[in-house]
Amino acid sequence: MVERLLEMRGISKRFPGVLALDSVGFDLRPGEVHGMLGENGAGKSTLIKVLAGDYSKDEGEILIGGEKVELKSPSDSQSRGISVIYQELNTLDTLSVAENIFVGNLPKRKGLGTVDWKTLNRNARTVLQRMLVDINPRKIVGDLTVHEKQIIEIAKAIYKDARILVMDEPTAALGEKDTASLFNIIRSLKLQGVGVIYISHRLKEIFEITDRVTVLRDGKLIGTENTKETDRERLITMMVGRELKDMYPKREVPSGKTLIEVRNLNIKGILEDISFQVRAGEIVGLFGLLGSGRQNIVRALYGIDEFQSGKILIDGKPVIIDTPSKALKRRMGFMPIDRKLEGLALTLTVSNNITMANVDNLGQGYFIDRQFEKEHARKWVKDVNIKTPSIDTDVNSLSGGNQQKIVLAKLLETGARIFIMNEPTRGIDVGAKVDIYQMMERLSEEGAGIIMISSELPEMLAMADRILVISKGRITAEYSRKEATQEKLLHAATV
Amino acid sequence: MAKTAETVAEQRGGKKFRLSSTAILFLFFVVMVAAFAALSRDFYSIYNVTSMLTNIAFSGIVAGTLTLVMIMGGLDISIGGNIALTSCLVAYIYNMENAPATGIIILIAIALGATIGGFNGFVITRLDLNPIITTLGTMAITRGMGYVLTKSRSILILEDVVGFIGRGTIAKLPFPLILFIVVYTVLTFIMGRSKFGRKIYCIGANQEAAKLSGINIRKVKFITYLVSGIAASISGLILTGQSAVGMPQHATGSELDVITAVLLGGTSLAGGKGSVLGTLAGVLILGVLYNGFTMIGFRYVHIRVFQGVILILVVSLYEVREKKKY
Repeated sequence: MVERLLEMRGISKRFPGVLALDSVGFDLRPGEVHGMLGENGAGKSTLIKVLAGDYSKDEGEILIGGEKVELKSPSDSQSRGISVIYQELNTLDTLSVAENIFVGNLPKRKGLGTVDWKTLNRNARTVLQRMLVDINPRKIVGDLTVHEKQIIEIAKAIYKDARILVMDEPTAALGEKDTASLFNIIRSLKLQGVGVIYISHRLKEIFEITDRVTVLRDGKLIGTENTKETDRERLITMMVGRELKDMYPKREVPSGKTLIEVRNLNIKGILEDISFQVRAGEIVGLFGLLGSGRQNIVRALYGIDEFQSGKILIDGKPVIIDTPSKALKRRMGFMPIDRKLEGLALTLTVSNNITMANVDNLGQGYFIDRQFEKEHARKWVKDVNIKTPSIDTDVNSLSGGNQQKIVLAKLLETGARIFIMNEPTRGIDVGAKVDIYQMMERLSEEGAGIIMISSELPEMLAMADRILVISKGRITAEYSRKEATQEKLLHAATV
Repeated sequence: MAKTAETVAEQRGGKKFRLSSTAILFLFFVVMVAAFAALSRDFYSIYNVTSMLTNIAFSGIVAGTLTLVMIMGGLDISIGGNIALTSCLVAYIYNMENAPATGIIILIAIALGATIGGFNGFVITRLDLNPIITTLGTMAITRGMGYVLTKSRSILILEDVVGFIGRGTIAKLPFPLILFIVVYTVLTFIMGRSKFGRKIYCIGANQEAAKLSGINIRKVKFITYLVSGIAASISGLILTGQSAVGMPQHATGSELDVITAVLLGGTSLAGGKGSVLGTLAGVLILGVLYNGFTMIGFRYVHIRVFQGVILILVVSLYEVREKKKY
């Protein structure tokens, strides 16, 4: 019988209205790297959080080294030798490397009990050398690269005698060289018998570093495969094999003249030679993984972020857009990725929010024509089907779907004809989704151009006329609506 | 006042029989006035009412403009220092040999307020410094400069025009009160009806969203701090006229009373919420509180305790109402 470091049996976790994990099983062997794959919302993070003691499971059992355990808190989990390295690293940036590794257990001098720096730095060097890396233990962690910080976290875990190491998208912010270095460290951990759970979207890395791979989808275990005996196509099919619901009101709209053209857009270290155009009546999708540079493209277009070189042409004429207000004057509208952080003034009313990007046109001179404002707000509430008791209700009290519709109404109120829609339906119910899709269709019929970013593949495939795939700051593929498939998009996005 | 309260409740509309917080404050104010009037004969003597209203006007003007700053999510604690420095500068210039005409002195005073406010605005918008730190700095700078300018002495200023600003009357109404009414009328219009006021609300509610909505955040913030500085110098002129001296100890601690009035009026420290009318209620309540309790025999130190208790009580009531809403 194979020895098992960790075994999770029949794990279920319910959140209000959602079954996030549905009787999932998982196991990890000593010295094994076990990949975990799944789309956003598949249940990977929930499973990891159960293992880390952040969430309590509703059903199932967890065995470590064959012994049944209850992980009720993160410290429970750590004392069982489980260590999680999250995508957002938890280093203490103002302290030194050595302090970070030994935090909570600094060696003390006899007598006064002050920190014994000599021993501390020597111990830190030993730990780092065991991982075959050369970082000065006295360096301040804030000055290190992301990869070096990651190494510090791994060192911290190793020092605490972690037997099970979870890495969540560890290469998301790493270049090729650092990725190679990370893999060397992972291999050295394997030799020491540590089990690594490796979460990544990048299939190439899964094949390079893992021994087995488990795929989750919609909170269910789809299967566990030996990496050597499977292939890319099979894993992608396991990940996305979901039926498209009939919820997309897509109609064919003939596309007109070019509204906006981007030529050779460059942002140092982030974007490289991005060129594309959007025509009237067209919905152009930008698809890519987290950190691929999709956001940087649209933020640069809307004048939020600077770019080093490149041209933007609107109606064939070069334009300079270095503030959102200039973008608005060119009739561009921007739907931010997070409605609460960047889209809405939550303490203000529905009507105030709808007119927020158009305050200067709410009347002549310095004053707001309130009748005019109310008429406009009522019109959009009706047109976008916003369900609210009145236009004077605070936005705070509405549901996510209605809030998202208010963000859309805000763009419409500015009279935009080039729309940047960032995750237009993130975290909202199906009814609200359909309302937003319908408005998108109506806009394209009226000759607007839409740039859509979405992490939801079915939405991307159903709504976009053309899809540009972005990977590591470059456009790696372009597919028409007919050509595009989930597999092709994922392939191009993981290049 | 009761009438105003009702109209406020009506304007908010939609919410059935739910009095707005501002309306409750005005009711509270009316009850306080009635209670003090019943307890003390002197309370509603012409002399006392005039002196009370003049005091209210003095701190009310800066509370009004501070409301704009706080709705925007900012803070200005340089008000007190600004007031003191204005009074010192006015008295100093007046006592110089070849002193300029009074009109010029008044313009210089207002220019001083504009400079302090503009400096705050510049540092906050261009250097991205936290407003509390910035205005804490200017508070110390202005207060200190007052001491330097006057060599820590009080300078007498017996000048008719300045005296009129502090003590004069038009049709039996104290001049500061007239100024106060003008300022509140203008500010109420700005916050209720103007594009500029709306932008202040938007910035306070969500600065990122305001930025993406094309609002020129730096410009709006700069102007608001500028206006706050100018209002402080106007209050400085009133105080100088009232007391007939310029001295660096003027308005010590007044910034905290003014902030108290604004918070009492329902403006949130986080920004995005509040009204000039609410601050009006806050200012009136504090003014009557000090005057009324003094009239019935309490000492200043006791009233400070009440002020603190009322602030905490009222603001926690706001929190409770806020939680019930959703």
